[in-house]
Formats: sequence, C-alpha cells, structure tokens
Amino acid sequence: MKKLFYKVLICLSATVILNACKKDNYPLPAETLKGRVVDAATGEPVLTDQGSEGTRVRLRELSWKGTASPDNFDFFCMKEGIFQNTKLFAGHYNVRVDGAFIPLLRKNDQGDTLADETQYVDIKGVTEVEFKVQPFLKVEWVGTPTVSDGKITATIKVTRAVSPADFKAKIEPMGNYSDDMLNVTDVRLFVSEVPYVGYREWDNRYTTEIDYSGNSFDAQLGQPITITTQGTIPAGRTMFIRGAARINYATENIKRHNYNEAVRVDIPR
Amino acid sequence: MRLKYFLFAILVFGTMLISCKKTYLDIPPMNVVQDKDLFSNEAGMTVYLARIYSQMPFEDFKYSPARQFFDDWLVTPGANEGSSLGRDAGTAMTSEGWARNGAYWGRAFNLLRDANYLLETLPEYQSNFSSDVYNDYIGEGYFARAMVFYALAKRYGGVPLVTSVLKYPQHPADSLEVPRSTEEQTWNQVLVDFDSAIARLPESSLKRGYANKYVALGFKSEAMLFAGSVAKYNKITGFGDKTGVRVIGFDPATAADASKKYFRAAYDAAREVMNSGKYSLYKKKWAPNDKEAQYQNMVDMFFDISSPENIYIKEYQYPDLAHGYDAYNIPRQLMGGNGYSAGNCPTLDFVELFDGFAKNDDGTIKVLDNNGKYLLFDKVTDIFANAEPRLRAYVIFPGDVFKGQVMEIRRGIFTGDASNGISPLRVVNGGSPDYTISGPANYNQVDAYTASGAFAGHKSLFLSQNANTNEVVTLPDGSQMNAGGKNGPFTSDATCAMTGFTVRKWLNPNMPQSLVLEAHSEQFFILMRYAEILLNAAEAASELMLAGEPAPNGDNFQEIAYNAIRDIRERAGADPLKSDLSGEAGLQIIRKERRKELAFEHKILWDIRRWRTQHSDNLNGSTQSDGAYYRGLYPFYSSTTGKYFFDAGFDEGRRRFRLTEQEYYFLIPAGEVSKSPVIDQQPGR
Repeated sequence: MKKLFYKVLICLSATVILNACKKDNYPLPAETLKGRVVDAATGEPVLTDQGSEGTRVRLRELSWKGTASPDNFDFFCMKEGIFQNTKLFAGHYNVRVDGAFIPLLRKNDQGDTLADETQYVDIKGVTEVEFKVQPFLKVEWVGTPTVSDGKITATIKVTRAVSPADFKAKIEPMGNYSDDMLNVTDVRLFVSEVPYVGYREWDNRYTTEIDYSGNSFDAQLGQPITITTQGTIPAGRTMFIRGAARINYATENIKRHNYNEAVRVDIPR
Repeated sequence: MRLKYFLFAILVFGTMLISCKKTYLDIPPMNVVQDKDLFSNEAGMTVYLARIYSQMPFEDFKYSPARQFFDDWLVTPGANEGSSLGRDAGTAMTSEGWARNGAYWGRAFNLLRDANYLLETLPEYQSNFSSDVYNDYIGEGYFARAMVFYALAKRYGGVPLVTSVLKYPQHPADSLEVPRSTEEQTWNQVLVDFDSAIARLPESSLKRGYANKYVALGFKSEAMLFAGSVAKYNKITGFGDKTGVRVIGFDPATAADASKKYFRAAYDAAREVMNSGKYSLYKKKWAPNDKEAQYQNMVDMFFDISSPENIYIKEYQYPDLAHGYDAYNIPRQLMGGNGYSAGNCPTLDFVELFDGFAKNDDGTIKVLDNNGKYLLFDKVTDIFANAEPRLRAYVIFPGDVFKGQVMEIRRGIFTGDASNGISPLRVVNGGSPDYTISGPANYNQVDAYTASGAFAGHKSLFLSQNANTNEVVTLPDGSQMNAGGKNGPFTSDATCAMTGFTVRKWLNPNMPQSLVLEAHSEQFFILMRYAEILLNAAEAASELMLAGEPAPNGDNFQEIAYNAIRDIRERAGADPLKSDLSGEAGLQIIRKERRKELAFEHKILWDIRRWRTQHSDNLNGSTQSDGAYYRGLYPFYSSTTGKYFFDAGFDEGRRRFRLTEQEYYFLIPAGEVSKSPVIDQQPGR
C-alpha cells in the first residue's frame, strides 16, 4: 500500500513538474555567415582594426517576430577585413558593415534614406557575402622596417582610395557637409607585442602619432612618410607594427582608421 | 447523512446566487492609502513629498559616476573629473558600463510618475489648501519633473517626454508607449518645467529641505548652461532606427539659435538669484591679506549650515540617513575601522591650476633647478608654503596638519650623494631621465632603487611596500626612519596618498577616528551654492558675448563676468585677475576658475562633458579618446642633506582614462530597447 502511494506520488509530481515547462525544441543556432569587405575599385580587402573602432558588422534578423523590431546583433571584422559567425539562427537578415569607408546606408538630415547598399540575405547553411566599399584612405608599406637601438623605423604611403569628388557626391546629401571632412587628421605607427595590433591594441610606450592640422597633409598624399617608434623596445622582443591613417569624418559617430597589414619585427639581441 | 450533503449543496448554491449583483463590497481596499488621504491635507502631502524627495536625482554623498544615485559606497567626488585619482574609482569607472541599473533610466520614470500624479491629482483637492501652500506643492511637482528630465537629458539626450500619468491597466500597454523625443525638445521641456516651478515656488522653502524659487533658478541656470553648451559644442548626432527621430544632438539648422536661447536662459536665471540679494559668498572668517584666515574660511564654509552661500543643501543624520564620505576619503594615517582610506587623491594636474607656488613656463610645477637637479627644501611644507588658501582648503599637502596631526606623505628616502645636487630619479639602466609614458612607471624600477647604472653597487633609494612593510633607513644622526610616510605613497598598496596629495574638502575635521566608519558621516552636501551662480552667470555672459548677443536690461556682460570671477578669486585668496574676460581667452579663464572652485562637488565631470572636451583635451600629451594619464608629485627625503625634494611625473599606477566621443551619450539599457517598439538605442551604438 505504502509503495503504491509513493508510486502515485512520483507520477503525480512528475506530471506537475513536467507540466510547468515546455520542451525547448528550438534548433541550436548553427548557421554560418562569412563575409569580406573589399575595395570596390581594386578588389583588395579593406584592412581594419579589431574592435569598436574597426569595421563593425551589424545583423538584424528581419524574420524575427518576437518583438516589434529586431535587436541589433553586432560583431567585428578580423584585421584582414573578413568576418565569420558560425552560431546564427537561420532566417532572413539585414547585414551591414560600417568602417573607414563611405557608409552603405546613407540618410539625409531629415532621417530619410538616400541610399541603402546593405545586404538582405537568407542565412542558412554557410552563407557568404561580399561588400564592395569605397575606403577613405589606402595605407601601404614602402620598403622594409628597420631596427636600430630598440627603435623601429618604417616608411608608409597614404593615398586616397576614394576621390574627393566621389566622396562629396555621396556625403554632401547627408547634410552638414564640409570639405574639411576630407582632411587627414593623423597618421600613426601602431606597435604591439601581438599581431592584432591597432587602435584597440597598442603599446603607448612605443607607438608614434603624427597629427596634421587643416589640409596640411594633402601635400604628403602618395609621398613616403618615415616614422620612428618612441621609447626603447628591449632587445630580443618580437613586435608587430601597423601603419594607420584617418580622415576627419566619422562613420556611425566614430572616426575610424584605415590600415595596412601588420608586420612582424624582431628586435635583435 | 444524505440530507446533510443535500442541505450543504443547497446552501452553497444559494450563496452563489446571493453574492452576485450586490455592490456594497465594492469599495477601495481599506488597507491601501487613498488619494483622499494624501492629497486632502498637509500631513498627507508631507508624506507624498517625502517620497518624491527621497527619489530626487541629487548628486551628493550618495552618488558616484560609476554607481549613480542612492548608493553611498566608495563615494569619491572628483575621481573621474581629473581633480583626483582613487584606488577604487579608477579608470574603468569613467565608463558608463559600470553604472548599475542602467545609470538612471529605470528609476527616473518612477519619480516622473509620482510628479505627474501630483500635478494631475492635487487640483481636485485644491480647496483644502491656502493658495500659497497649493502653489508650492504644484511647484514642487514641476521642480521634481524638471530635475528628472534634466538628469536624463544630460545622460541620454532625447528621452520620452512623459508629462501625464500613463494609466495602466485602464489602457492597454501598447497604447502607452512613448518614443524618445529629440534632444532639443527634451531640453525645451526642462526649460518649461523649471519655469513652471519658478513661477509657483515661494521665496523661501515651505519646509526645511524643500525647494524654493531660488533653488529652481539655480538648477535652471546649471541645466541651461548644459543645454547651450551641447547645442554649441556637440558633434555627434543621428536618428533613431525605429522612429527616425534625431534622438541625440541638435539639427545643424537650429543649433546656433537654440544655443543662444539656452545661454540666455542660464544667464537670466543666474542674474535673478544675484539680484535677489538673498545670497552671498561665505566670508565669515575671511580677512584681506590674511592667508590663514582665508584658508580657515574656506574650510568652514562646507560645514556652516547658516552659510549665506548655501542655496540648497542635502542634510544627513546618523543613524537614519548617513553616508561614508569620511571613511572612504580619510588620509591613510587616520584610517578608520572599516579599512578604507584615501579614495580621493588630488592629481598634480589639478593642483597646478592654482596659484601660489613656483611654476615653469609651461605651467607645470617647478621642482628642478636650472641645472636639471632637484630643488631642495628645508621643510617638506616649504614648496606649498604660499599656496592659494582655497587650494589648501581643498587638498592636504605633505606635512600639513589635519585633526591635530602632521600628515606624513613621503614616497621614499634617497641616501645617495647630494653634494653636486640630485639628478631626476626616473632613470633605468644608466640611461637618461625618462618622464614619458615609456619611462619607468614605479620607483622600484629606477636605478637608484635597483642599484644599477650610475648607482651600481650602492642602493640609494628606499621605499615602503605598504603601511606595515617598510624599508628602514638609519639616518646620519643614528635615528631610524621608515622609507615611506604614514600616508605613503607606497609601492604596492593604493590605500595611500597615491599622487602625493590627499583630499581635505568635505572631510569632517572634528570627527573622532573611532567614528570614521561607513554610514557614520552626517555632514551636509551643498547641492547649489552662490559661487556656482556667479560662475554660471560669467560663463553664460562670455558665451553670449562670443555669439554677439546684446546684454539684457542694462547689464554689461563684460563687467558681470569680470566681477563674478574677481569676487570668487578674492575670497579664494588667489592672485588678482590680470586681464579682462573678453573673447575665447576669457571663456577659458572662466572655465578654469570653475574647475578650481567647484572641484569635488560632482559638477566638473558634467562640465567637461558638456564642453565636449573630456575626450579631446590634451592631457600630458595624450587625449582621453586615445587614453590619457594624470600626474602626481612624489616627495622624497634626502638623508645626507636632511632636505626634501619632489619628483613630478605620471601617476605610478598609470591609471588610464579613456572616453570615446560617442560615450557622451550613455547607452539606453538594452532591455528597454528590446522590449519596446518605439524606444531607440543611441544612433550608431
């Protein structure tokens, strides 16, 4: 009798407990989005910092009906200008990237959309996207960096990747335009002990920044600029360096740098 | 037996029938306070207003930028505005990410509802009150609402302008959603609500702690200065994703006019307080040319409840409503039982704003002679012996007296040869002195300490690890001396005067050490004082002059601004003004005076934010947008000469302050954005 009582009790409590929950049968997020951000003119990848001052990828799941409007889902490009997310729910998405290039989604100062070059994709399996953008600047290495007395000297070249006329044609309708936006404000040689060197990962003991006021940099466009690191890097260290430059224009309220590729420099013992 | 069940069934059935239809039980619950209890008499209104005031967004001894309102843990005003560094109020705390409860967003709407409820309900009960009392209550409602919208606007820009009670569940939740307005509309609402309050509030407070006309005028001038500055200096703007509304920043087409309108409102409000003649700068102990009296005057003014400078104060009382300012900020030497101390160490950058000690051409303190050797001082107090009295009232210097004790602040003892002078200490491996950011961070890395380079084989610098672990030096006279002072600075313990200074402002000079505990302090906080009114008038006047605006009712902007700054500097014992206050240079002088006078009062962080200079000001060669550092002044004792010298350089802890431009607007709590179809996140975030 007593046994039966317990059996009944167990059955009863199991019913109660299981009733309280619904079986979570939603499939795991397992779809993959891969993408590249490339220069529309040359097809070369647009290199970037890894972090909130670099190229940001923003997903909005338009097929989501749980709330009135989908939340933004942000992640950041790798330094090579590529991105990948392997844990996404299948669905219809708006994908946009924002970085040191002409904004893909352009609105005027009344908030009306002027141009929408973002992509609308169904993400299922492995979905690949490519964004052809117009970066503001192109930063290139000239020659090979040299080391002496714990200081690295490197030469870079900064050119415009988008013509001032093209820039003006696309940015002016957004309102509040000024030619000052095209001015190069600073050129930096970022130094770090890790290859992910950039605005979010730099050693401020060694990194060098050169500021330019007004349009004073214009004369140096395309000219080699030689920069030497600050301080003294201890012998035997392995460092990574990167050149970067930015113009006086903020995308999504952040003035972002254009970069060249990070190179490894060994400080001899 | 059967009959019993039958009767019972009939009874139940009958009860069911009877209980319908009748309404005599349909009364408001007797155990819940009703409108008529609260709004029909003054005792009820006292209760209602007590609830309103307990939720007011006052930045006082229970406010910190990191933890926001109503939280007295680690309150160290000054620690994020550049006036000081704190062990616990470090770099990360400049960021909104630390703010609990989504900064202020959630709590704001509770008080907003209470204020709106008062404004909507009290008119039904107007006949119960005299017109004066009734007007005061309505004025309090508008004042509370103005303070809420002001607190929200300076954090978030445009916010939902809820100006009536949202009735839920009478109306479905969907129909009650209010989207964010533009930033300009929000500041206009702040202006209108302050004006509504000013029109109704009495000349003096109805009850101790209530607002009055001049309190509202004071906060109005502060708020409008904020609005005018944002309209003029803000660079970031954008439209909400959901509504397309410009939720942050001003429309470039209207920004200039809006800025002038707000500066004018700020000016007029400040002038009305000045013209009332009810308030004046505190000068009870002040005497001309007497630095000691001027110093004592400025210490006392923060504790004198009858000060004519106090426009609005927040009072505390142990044990009902106490705070912990003394416990968190007490010098290490006088630490209380909870083990907190020195949470608020003034930076050298702050000290250098003041007058009264030798400076180099670039404005930095002079610690080296013309040969690049340290200046030697007979007494540790000599370097600041003639410092501006206001600075002494705000900051404890090495060797100053506090609570009857000499405050020992010493980084270490230098035992090396001083016959040819002492060269700067921050040298590694025999190199040249390096005071850049790549130089040695801590004195235990320098050659004199590690016995290398020029000091090879003879260790010449001795330091203390913490207050209990000292390197002890035997002096030439045979006596022994701990390397570090009782207040440090120490090598690896930041409960000390880590910048070489420790704060004096607000610290109760009469509190016994045994009572220096958390939640034991009861000195009042001055939320609005006359000096700020003068500074507001001067800044607004300067901005209006720069905008080419004419002065109202016979005022002379130049004269008003000049007299305001002159009076403040005179009371402070500072050097007299050398120039007039015209143009951009004049504005910078006014701002600098503000940074000095109102430091440690929760005001300056908002000032550098509204000027939009927090991210861009050059701070020892960097900006906060890239990451920047403050400096300290480290006293050393030279044992062979018996003299003191001072080493000025970057804070040993290398606390990095960082703020990106878009962080001028706090993030809206993500949950609020997710759950609402109309609430927009900050554009770009």
